[in-house]
Amino acid sequence: MQWNFQDIHDQVKNEAQAIDSPQALESFRLKYLGKKGVVAAVFASLGTADAADKAAIGKGANDLRSLVEQLIAEKSATTSSTKAQEERIDISLPGTGEALGHTHILTQTMQEIIAVFEQMGFVTVETPEIETEFHNFTGLNIPIDHPSRDAFDTFYLDAEDPAARGRRLLLRSHTSPGQVRIMKQNKPPMAVIVPGRVYRPDAVDASHSFMFHQVEGLLVDENVQFSELKGLLTEFCRRFFGPKVVMRFRPHFFPFTEPSAEVDINAEILGIQRKKWLEILGCGMINPKVFEAVGYPKGKYKGFAFGMGVERMAMLKYGINDIRFFYENDVRFLKQF
Amino acid sequence: MAGLEVESVEINGVDTVLEIEITPNRPDCLNILGLAREIGAITGKTVKGPKVKSVKTSSLKKLIHIENKKDCSRYIGTLIRDVKISDSPAAMKMRLNSLGINAINNAVDITNFVLMETGQPLHAFDHDKLAGGKIIVRRAKAGESIVTLDGVERKLDPAILVIADSEKPVAIAGIMGGKGTEITSETKNILLESAHFDMGLIRRACRSLGLRSDSSYRFERNVNFEGVLTGSDRAIDLLLQLTGGRLSGREEVSVRSKKIVTKIKVTIAAIESLLGVEVTAPKVKAWLARLGFTVTAKGEILTVTPPNNRADIGQDVDVIEEIARMIGFNHLPSKLPLIKTTNIAVDKRPREIKDKVRRILTAGGIDEIITHNMISSRSLTKTNMADLKPVRIYNPLNQEQELMRPSLLPSMLQVALTNINRGQKDLRFFEIGKRYFIDGEKESVGILLTGRRTHDWRSSKKEAVEIFDIKGLVGRICQSFGVNPTYGPTERASYDQACAATILINGKLVGTMGKIDKKVLNNWDIKNQDVYFAGLHLEEILALPSKALKYQPISEFPAIVRDVSLAVKKEIPYAKIEEICVKQGGDILKSVQFIEQYLGDKIQSGYKGLVFSCQYQSNARTLREEEVTTIHERILQSLIQDLSAIRR
Repeated sequence: MQWNFQDIHDQVKNEAQAIDSPQALESFRLKYLGKKGVVAAVFASLGTADAADKAAIGKGANDLRSLVEQLIAEKSATTSSTKAQEERIDISLPGTGEALGHTHILTQTMQEIIAVFEQMGFVTVETPEIETEFHNFTGLNIPIDHPSRDAFDTFYLDAEDPAARGRRLLLRSHTSPGQVRIMKQNKPPMAVIVPGRVYRPDAVDASHSFMFHQVEGLLVDENVQFSELKGLLTEFCRRFFGPKVVMRFRPHFFPFTEPSAEVDINAEILGIQRKKWLEILGCGMINPKVFEAVGYPKGKYKGFAFGMGVERMAMLKYGINDIRFFYENDVRFLKQF
Repeated sequence: MAGLEVESVEINGVDTVLEIEITPNRPDCLNILGLAREIGAITGKTVKGPKVKSVKTSSLKKLIHIENKKDCSRYIGTLIRDVKISDSPAAMKMRLNSLGINAINNAVDITNFVLMETGQPLHAFDHDKLAGGKIIVRRAKAGESIVTLDGVERKLDPAILVIADSEKPVAIAGIMGGKGTEITSETKNILLESAHFDMGLIRRACRSLGLRSDSSYRFERNVNFEGVLTGSDRAIDLLLQLTGGRLSGREEVSVRSKKIVTKIKVTIAAIESLLGVEVTAPKVKAWLARLGFTVTAKGEILTVTPPNNRADIGQDVDVIEEIARMIGFNHLPSKLPLIKTTNIAVDKRPREIKDKVRRILTAGGIDEIITHNMISSRSLTKTNMADLKPVRIYNPLNQEQELMRPSLLPSMLQVALTNINRGQKDLRFFEIGKRYFIDGEKESVGILLTGRRTHDWRSSKKEAVEIFDIKGLVGRICQSFGVNPTYGPTERASYDQACAATILINGKLVGTMGKIDKKVLNNWDIKNQDVYFAGLHLEEILALPSKALKYQPISEFPAIVRDVSLAVKKEIPYAKIEEICVKQGGDILKSVQFIEQYLGDKIQSGYKGLVFSCQYQSNARTLREEEVTTIHERILQSLIQDLSAIRR
């Protein structure tokens, strides 16, 4: 039998070109490489071929097989990808199950503030919101009938202080009573953060609320310096607001610290134009009168304390312009954070 | 930065008005001269004040009487006769106008002008209108009243200090003068008051009267005892110049004739160790001198006397603050502290529990909210919670915030309502917050679900949330603490009684949950959707003993599972069935798994269909079919006998 390999090659190539499905590819394979396929027939013809032709027929069969295999390999790549395409799922459809709920931005801000101080070695303690006049005022060197109480207008409760007959319990107007409680119960050295809710009878507007959150901090030891207060708060601000923050310490007055300062940061890093400086916290060296009130030996300890409003920190950091959003809890607000 | 923050700068005609924040410890800065001294000290400039001639006149007797010198420690009354009351010069009027004070007439304007200049409040009486021509400083008598300069009649009481003549109060001491003795164009003779009143007394009177003035603002913050005389002298000087009157005499009553001299010891070491900065005695001395302090230095020990207007300087740290201000807080060094917390034992569990609950609930797709914890009585009534005994606020801002919430539910319903009114009806909220009782504040978790469940696009159904959604959340929280709650009946009227339960752990109440009663929702104006709520008491969960876990061997032998389908009377709880299975199942019953509840037409009325499976397994061997069948039949028989269950 004579084989025109050139014609066969052309035919194979033409047929391969037309293959458009795995089924067509399979019949193509069977036609040429199957038991009764063309390649087998060529090899079979070797038995009856002239001795002179054998080498050419053998080579032709091998070449044909290589060509078919190569074409099958090429085609199988394209037809199987077509198959995958046909059966491929639409991965752009949404995944199922609950989306994560949102932690309230005040909680997140509070956690962020606490985390910075805990990383630096502070421990966190929570103290009660219902307080006594001693913890909220007297122990903090804020005497009764003193104008320094004006800054701490207070809600009183319809309940008597069991420890002071005739005096009412109150809702703490700042987290500083936590200082008095913690110092009364513990001996220095200590570095403590006191987060929590505080209350002041302020009429509600965009920047005032009768309830808000503060984080208080205090560090007491035998040798504590104002320079360390500056260093600590500078580090806090860098971590909370970013390394570019510019701060200033401005003398202020708090009855429970001396010297006292307020800390401002530059408004520019927060993209705020209306003001140059933004007040963010109050601080100072703990007044010896407070140490006296908690029963520490005179002159033995020094310390510093600071306090900041969580709402204010969140408003500045996230550009929230109305304090009422925090308590209104519109889901469109909650889901942003 | 040395203090005195300028809050605003305004141009008022030819004048410039600075608004400056003065902290309550610095009454010495509540006047122009005080501010000038402060600025002079900071900038190192010399301050020139007006030259005040000291008044030389005859000493009067029995013009002034002070009943209690604790109330009024100093009173100087000066008589000026034959004055001509007219307008003040334009320059004075302009200055007063800049400070927001109306010009009235030369005598009154001088008292205001000197108040602003020196910080000493003054009052001018028309001497001829004082009955008996005398001044008595005393407490008001019960039932007395006075018409003050603003034309308002004010009721007085013995807690209020007044200036009286021999008949009646003519001024509320330190706060405001009386209409009856005010200076008018007819006034001929003036009695000028310059005094020092008790700061607490004035403050309380201001509060009870609801009346404040430039004078009371300064008295509340304590005026300078020594300034009583200089203020008077400065005003007399101006009065003589501007009214053409003549000095007739003066009487001074005072608790002390000698000046009190405060001496404070400050060491260089104390300054350096508090501020963390190096200083030298001569430098400190120079800074303090600029602030008007008298300083004597003996090596490293300084003895400091503050100026007489600086009552805020009483201990060494007060002096150190002055030094810090003079250096400038921003120029003080800054370094990180060494932090030691060795002596604080902190129980971290209360905070960890809250964080854990927060993680579980947010993982379950619930959003955290933070609500107001002051609520109204009305909101409790609306929520059928009028029986709860809340802690009341003695001085509430208004009725909306008159008490501390005894439950999270009312504040959470308010948030639901706010959102529903804005068209956001599918809500899943939780709050970790406190409830308040007379014996303390209690941490709790509230969960509120309403509207549709999160849609799964693979199923065509859009289902509303229901009680088992909230039960699942409660279960997950309990599971995280390694406990298995049981549920009992509740009578809390906020819930629909057919769909509510108490949550118990080891028989102890740790919370409640249920569908909110329709009437309650109506009261809250929440229409067309059910609301589910669960409240968990965290302090109860915190008090649970921690459970010791022990490894249980895992069986190597195959399990046999038998499904059961029964019909039982509707009132029989599934838990009862499980209980019987466990009782009858013996060692080889490993678990009972609930599959479904069926409440359809195919069940006779009053009955419900239940499907569950029993899993049998041994740790020691492969179970034989027959022995499982024996036990399984025993269970079924028991269910049929004890519960009248019907096999399906």
